[in-house]
Amino acid sequence: MSGKSKKTAAVVGALLLLLAAVAVYFCVFHKYTKDDLAYDDNAITGILPGIDIDERRKELQKIVDRNMIAFSVNTSPVFLNGTSKGNLLIENPGNNGKLLKASITIDETKEEVYSTKYLKPGTYIESAKLDKVLKEGTYNATVHISAYDEYTAEYIGQTGAQIVITVQN
Amino acid sequence: MKKKSILLTFVLTMSLIFSTAAYAASTTATKDIPIGGSGEMEMVGSIEPTVLSVTMPSVVPFNISNSLTTENKVISPRIKMKNNSSIPVSITVSYTEVDISKLKNTSWCNDANVGPRQIAIGLEKEEVKDEMPTGLSNAKWLWANQWQYMEVLSLAANQEDALYVVGAMGQDVMENTTFTVTPTFIVSRTY
Repeated sequence: MSGKSKKTAAVVGALLLLLAAVAVYFCVFHKYTKDDLAYDDNAITGILPGIDIDERRKELQKIVDRNMIAFSVNTSPVFLNGTSKGNLLIENPGNNGKLLKASITIDETKEEVYSTKYLKPGTYIESAKLDKVLKEGTYNATVHISAYDEYTAEYIGQTGAQIVITVQN
Repeated sequence: MKKKSILLTFVLTMSLIFSTAAYAASTTATKDIPIGGSGEMEMVGSIEPTVLSVTMPSVVPFNISNSLTTENKVISPRIKMKNNSSIPVSITVSYTEVDISKLKNTSWCNDANVGPRQIAIGLEKEEVKDEMPTGLSNAKWLWANQWQYMEVLSLAANQEDALYVVGAMGQDVMENTTFTVTPTFIVSRTY
């Protein structure tokens, strides 16, 4: 092989190597950006309706199971007087995996008389003063428990319990 | 002198005996009642608060379609309710927030007798485990945007049971549209 042929072969070889390197880079390292992939805005996440009832049920079941709320509350808290602490015993159990907020409203007037800030899983309120002063008597009330995502604090849903508040004096 | 010494020994012995007895009484909190006599014994009782503990759903997703061949047109998950407390409880729906604004020319119906452009949603207790109801005979219907206080389930102590969403839909109701039905479940102690 002449010196010129050797030189040509070396150049072609170098070019081929360069092309191979570029190809390997794109295959291995290049990540698609948002602009590269044009997703259809019209597409809906999930399974096509009417296709498979069992599959759809499983999908719905996952949502329900993920959003169960566990809580405990005293059904009959007692307050010595309108400004004293009462044994509310509101618990967010450790296995809940959600933040909870509780608010108490008097059934007859729909007035909110107490609310908590976020309760982390595995915490509870043993006793607290009401935010509004109630006169002596018994009051039918509802504790509304709202659940939020533990990490994003996104609202999930609400449930509740009926209680009877007693103010003794 | 000897008499004095004997008397002193007697007094010291008696005081020792009574002081020991008094110490024992204060630590064990018991009191001897002589046979044939009378005595008072204080019994202190404390009332433990009744704590209600439950696990309930906060979100109930469902699909409804006229393509289902059964009377019940809803595909529903199994909605588990668990009473973790030692008292019986009942579960009621106090209020149901309904938004069907995306369903054009459609109204809500409070029972299964839906018109061509009406929709009705209810809840039904599970009869056979893991089987969605096919009929609507045992359905309890939700009222839209009003207070209702309808009992949907009662649970004994430490019992678990389940509900399903059921529904009926007129043939002219627009399909492929979403709407929201948000019942608030309230648990209360039963006596």
